[in-house]
Amino acid sequence: MEREVVPWDSPEPLSGPIGVPLVDLLDRVLATGVVVSGDLVIAIADVPLVRLSLHALLSSVNERVPAPWSDGGPL
Amino acid sequence: MTESRVDLDSEKMGRDLVALVLTVVELLRQLMERQAIRRVEQGGLSDAQVEEIGTTLMLLDQRMQELCDQHGVRPEDLNLDLGPLGSLLPRE
Repeated sequence: MEREVVPWDSPEPLSGPIGVPLVDLLDRVLATGVVVSGDLVIAIADVPLVRLSLHALLSSVNERVPAPWSDGGPL
Repeated sequence: MTESRVDLDSEKMGRDLVALVLTVVELLRQLMERQAIRRVEQGGLSDAQVEEIGTTLMLLDQRMQELCDQHGVRPEDLNLDLGPLGSLLPRE
C-alpha cells in the first residue's frame, strides 16, 4: 500500500500529503546537524515567571561533530 | 442505584494517554534506529559494537511490541496523521 509521492515542482498547489514520513525528515535534519538558539519566557498575565535560554546543537555524531567524551563515555 | 455503571471514559482516556506516550517512544526508537544505521554505514565501529547495537535495537523493538500488546494499542494507532504534512511514522 505505497502511496504515490507528491511531486514537488508541480505548479498546482500541494494536493496530497507529502510522501515522506516526519521521522525520516528528522533523521535527515539530525544527519545534517541543526543549531537551535533562542529565548523562551513563560509568563502569566504578563508576569514573566520562567526563562529558557537555548543554544542547542542537535546533530548526529560524525567526524565533523565528535562526541565530547571518548567512545562510550559516561552516558 | 447506578453504582454498577462501568465508567468507560477513564479507561478510554487512559488508553489514549498510553497511546500518546507509546507514540513518542516509538518516534524516538525509529529515529535512533535510523541514526544507528547511519553510524554503522559511516564505519569506524568494531564488529562487537555493531553487533551490540543490532541486538539492542532488536530487543527494543520486541519490548515495544510487548508494551503495545499489553496496553491493547495497535501499531497503526501510534502513527499520527499530520494532514498535509503526511504521517509521523512510515505507513507499513
